[in-house]
Amino acid sequence: MIQSDFHHYIVIGCSDKMGINTLLDIVGSIIVGGLLLLILFRLNASATSNLYNNNSELIVQQAMVSVVEVLESDFRKIGYCKDWNKIPDPTKSILYADSSKIKYLTDLDNNGVVDTLQYYIGPTSELLNTPNPRDRLLYRVVNSEVPKSSNVGITRFKLTYYTVLGDTIKTLPVANTGQIHTIQIDVETENAESIDSQYVTAFWRQVKLSARNLQNR
Amino acid sequence: MGGKALLFVVLGFSLIFLIMEKNMTSTSTRTVDNMSSYYTNVNAHNIALAGANVGANKIFLDPTWTDGFDDVSFADGEYDVDVDIINNFQNIRRITSVGTFSGVSDTVQITLQPSKFSKFAYYSANEGSNIWWTTGDTVWGPMHTQSLLKIDGSPVFNGKVTSKLGMESSGHWEGWGWNQHWVSDATPEFNGGYQDGVDLPLPDNSITDLKTAAEDGGFLFEGQDTVYMTFAGDSLKYRFSYKDAPTTVLSSAFAPNGVIFANGATVRLQGEVAGRFTIGAASATKTIVVDNGKKKKKKKKKNKQKTVTVTVGGDIYLDNDVVYKSNPNDNPNSTDMLGIVSENNVYITDNKANKNDINIDAAIFAQKGGFGAENYANRPPSGIINLNGGITQNTRLPVGTFTFGGNISSGFSKSYHYDNRFLISSPPSFPNTGSFEIVSWYE
Repeated sequence: MIQSDFHHYIVIGCSDKMGINTLLDIVGSIIVGGLLLLILFRLNASATSNLYNNNSELIVQQAMVSVVEVLESDFRKIGYCKDWNKIPDPTKSILYADSSKIKYLTDLDNNGVVDTLQYYIGPTSELLNTPNPRDRLLYRVVNSEVPKSSNVGITRFKLTYYTVLGDTIKTLPVANTGQIHTIQIDVETENAESIDSQYVTAFWRQVKLSARNLQNR
Repeated sequence: MGGKALLFVVLGFSLIFLIMEKNMTSTSTRTVDNMSSYYTNVNAHNIALAGANVGANKIFLDPTWTDGFDDVSFADGEYDVDVDIINNFQNIRRITSVGTFSGVSDTVQITLQPSKFSKFAYYSANEGSNIWWTTGDTVWGPMHTQSLLKIDGSPVFNGKVTSKLGMESSGHWEGWGWNQHWVSDATPEFNGGYQDGVDLPLPDNSITDLKTAAEDGGFLFEGQDTVYMTFAGDSLKYRFSYKDAPTTVLSSAFAPNGVIFANGATVRLQGEVAGRFTIGAASATKTIVVDNGKKKKKKKKKNKQKTVTVTVGGDIYLDNDVVYKSNPNDNPNSTDMLGIVSENNVYITDNKANKNDINIDAAIFAQKGGFGAENYANRPPSGIINLNGGITQNTRLPVGTFTFGGNISSGFSKSYHYDNRFLISSPPSFPNTGSFEIVSWYE
């Protein structure tokens, strides 16, 4: 009889302890699991934000490089013509020069036929469909063709002109374009949409671009 | 069971994170690639530029150089330079420089042609000790001086200006003691650029080469003291004495290559030019016998006679207007072009015809002397020299005198304009500078 009673008492004690442990396990799991989930969500948000940032920077940088390569290629040919007799006085190659617009003689196809090339930047009102309030279109006009542009997020296109003595030509548009010896070009690009209300910006400056055909004769 | 579930959670999380990390790394890599590509392209271009500059310099130092360069190491890359003669007749050359950096190549091409003195609106080997370019002076066309370019006020230069010895400008000293420094007051306008350190001396063989051209396809006068030439459109009238009747010839047949040269004679020129011509005059030595003060052209001495050697000729006098039949200012397609080349001086004659202005359409070249007015200080005020062309001279000569305030007291005032056709063309056999000029730069 005593053995039976003892066994009964032992069984009752074990059942009570297992219930509390289970409860603790469940609560603990909830807390730990919840923390893990929170970490996971936060990590996801952070990774997504970084990914978007990096992609935006890449896009802005690629846009900048593509614009700059075209600008450098075109501006180096100011006053150039394969048949140089077609431009007997290179000092008269620049037809119009302003802080955001320039028009000049060149030979784009390298075929001995003089072309005119014009660069100018449009107003911000042309790109109201993008969230960025500062982006504009940069136009490139060949001869009398329809102006062509592409929306690469340009927010700034500024030209500064210098004389042969290094003085800045302050009166714009430049009255006597023969004075222009070197040109400083500033270009700034931004992405079309912001991240956390901030826009990614890239800036490029050609300090003194010397068009070697301008004053070679 | 719980352990297995947790394992799946961890594995799943790791997989997701790996994919995201790959995308982020890929973006960063592409950003670096983008920057690296731009850097490589710019470097290749700069190396090509360097090669082109080295090649151009070689040709300036040695106009006959055509060897080029192969695989020259420069700035962690290399360049190759080739020189081609693209026009044998005009001796036009092209330098092609290919720069390579990290497998990327870029090309720069320079085209050069021999330059002639006729391209200058104004050239002087010696500016004189006290001649300044000042406010009101305007030079249209390229200009060069072998001496110091002296600037006061605001002269305007509408073509490229080069000088050998640099520029001196008027100004004043500022500061005290060790801090004292010169401040320039001059504000010149260089509308075609300015470059110093350019050495472009007058060559010694210009007159000789012109004489050779006259012997070979032109006309050479010899044995005369003076040659009077009057252009009358398509024809030319010449005589050797003022009293003689002129001989009239068809200009183009008389000198097919356009070069008419008087050796050992003084040339007196005037008229209306149709066609392309260069008139030259050179000095020559002559032995004469002096007998009691009288000159006799005998070779042998007799009694009190003595033989002396004298130098005669080499000057050109402009006895009246020398203009084109078709004025290029009215007709840009005009092909009339005149070069006046003297070994010594080119003078505006002090005579009745030049009492009231003189019009000159020509590129003038005076190898040992300059361009000026005969008897400039004593002749009466004679109006304006209307020159449409250019002047190349050893020494700047005066054409008149002026009172304080700018009024002419004797001689002429100047109105010099540049014939823009001289930028791309020149009178026949006009003197070369002996070097090349860059006419086009492709990059």
